Amino acid sequence: MSTGKQQLNRRQFLKASAAAVITLSAVGSLAFWLKDKSDVKDKGFLRPPGAIPEEDFLFACIKCGLCVQICPVHAVKLADWDTGLSYGTPYIDPNVQACDFSCDSIQCAETCPTSALHFPVFRSAGEKAVEELYKQYPNRKLPPNVNPFVVQIHAMKRAYKLGVAKVNVQQCLAYHGQGYKGPLTKHRAKMRPPGKGDRIYTDEITVDRKICDLCVVYCPLQEDAIVLKDQGGGKFLPEVLDGCVGCGVCQMVCPTEPKAIVIEPEENPKV
Amino acid sequence: MAFIYDFLHGDKRRKPLPAKKKDELPHVRLGMTYKEWHDQAKGRHTWRNRRWAFLIFINLLFVVSFTFDLGLLEGSLSGSRLLGLYLMDPFNSTQELAIGATKGYIPHLTTNFWTGFITILVFYWLVGGRAFCSWVCPYHFFAEWGEKFHDYWIKKRKIKEKTYDITVKYVFWIGFILLALLTGELVFENLNPVGILSRSIIYGPGLALIWVVALLAYEVIGVKRFWCRYVCPIGVTYSFIGELSPINIKFELDKCGHCRDCQDVCLVPHELWFVKKGAATREVHYTGGDCTKCGLCIDACPGGSLSYGIRDSDLIFKS
Repeated sequence: MSTGKQQLNRRQFLKASAAAVITLSAVGSLAFWLKDKSDVKDKGFLRPPGAIPEEDFLFACIKCGLCVQICPVHAVKLADWDTGLSYGTPYIDPNVQACDFSCDSIQCAETCPTSALHFPVFRSAGEKAVEELYKQYPNRKLPPNVNPFVVQIHAMKRAYKLGVAKVNVQQCLAYHGQGYKGPLTKHRAKMRPPGKGDRIYTDEITVDRKICDLCVVYCPLQEDAIVLKDQGGGKFLPEVLDGCVGCGVCQMVCPTEPKAIVIEPEENPKV
Repeated sequence: MAFIYDFLHGDKRRKPLPAKKKDELPHVRLGMTYKEWHDQAKGRHTWRNRRWAFLIFINLLFVVSFTFDLGLLEGSLSGSRLLGLYLMDPFNSTQELAIGATKGYIPHLTTNFWTGFITILVFYWLVGGRAFCSWVCPYHFFAEWGEKFHDYWIKKRKIKEKTYDITVKYVFWIGFILLALLTGELVFENLNPVGILSRSIIYGPGLALIWVVALLAYEVIGVKRFWCRYVCPIGVTYSFIGELSPINIKFELDKCGHCRDCQDVCLVPHELWFVKKGAATREVHYTGGDCTKCGLCIDACPGGSLSYGIRDSDLIFKS
């Protein structure tokens, strides 16, 4: 036998539960709708290195921001409502600050606790490269001028594609035989120029080029990824090679508006 | 189910002890008037101040670590790293595991994830589950201020008090897990004021704060502590962890004058069911999983009948 008070409690509970279920279904349908709209490819943003396919990324990423904290050039940001991405997920806007490859070990992927940025891809690539390096020498003895660590990092940074650079020929200054003089970027961004050296602020240095070739000069992967080709008649055009991993530095330093070289995000295979 | 209920809430089912007679009340025994006795707790905010200091310290530590790149406490309240040791939000992790189980993703979770998840489970079992809410959660801090405005307007009779059935939070908890499974996405994270606030504090404010402000406004003019009491699945997860925590709020019947000031300040007054006259079934009671261990009741208690204590220490160490 249930007393009157118990009955009242039950009615209250059922009423509140009904409200909860209605709210939850509303939230759920909104989530489905938003999920359709959240497509990193359309928005011109990149996911950080090692991002698993978007479908899995959305549940694997817990939006903690550890990748944001660890990035030495602060390339990774967390999506807000206005980005059109799923709220709180990390992204890179190469127009503002590209991933410049100046970190030591792809820490953003290494720090990710849920493997939304999948580190084992990098690790195995690095280990494989070192193993092959040792095999090249008799008795696996490296000469003193060969540093396996450099080889390892080099291989790790090439292990994963964020996208591929695409050149918009009509926009390109070099194609019209024009040069560029002025600050490397108008806004403040951080990067390490190819080769050795400290990180610089891109708005602090001035460049003067007879033929604009900033994307080629500042590409972290250099001739593996991009070269300037003579088109004849004083015209030049950068050519993107297979080595390009889509870090976005070329897009960041490109002086034209809209950019003559843009990264097309590429979804990587399921791990 | 009945067995679990008995195990956790068996005290409620026991026969109540006889209600105190007039000369057994603490102020009579101490030879005070009721007003003198009752005024003893006036303006006392010891635990509240300690708690606010700790809450602000933790949240500032995130900010300072990020701004000056100190690496003390990185990440946000969804997942963080304290001096290299990972800590994971338990509800986020639960959703992650639920979706991961259906999609075969669990083997991909890192060791850091598991250490973080287990560390949080063990730590919050020790200090009492929802202690997270009142001692760490930034939303709780703002909601506590909102509650003050709410109480003021209730007193001025501008708004009416509304309450819902508290068990509805379990419906929300299951619902959010189901939504995560259905959509294959951490849906709750889009609504989570804890995460939104934490991220806004650390990485700079964003548009998502609009939702948090709207929620706070609803708590001020609508339903008192709506999110924390009736919805927040993070709190529910912590309440599961803290159901049998050793550190707890201890209640001693002989010092209680049944003024019930503690229930007025409490976020979850049903946890203090034993302070009602004639309701206690033992001389000593402990609060349960919903209790946030905030210490407001300790400050409010004139007779010192409430204190932090170790659960069942009175049964284990009989003096």
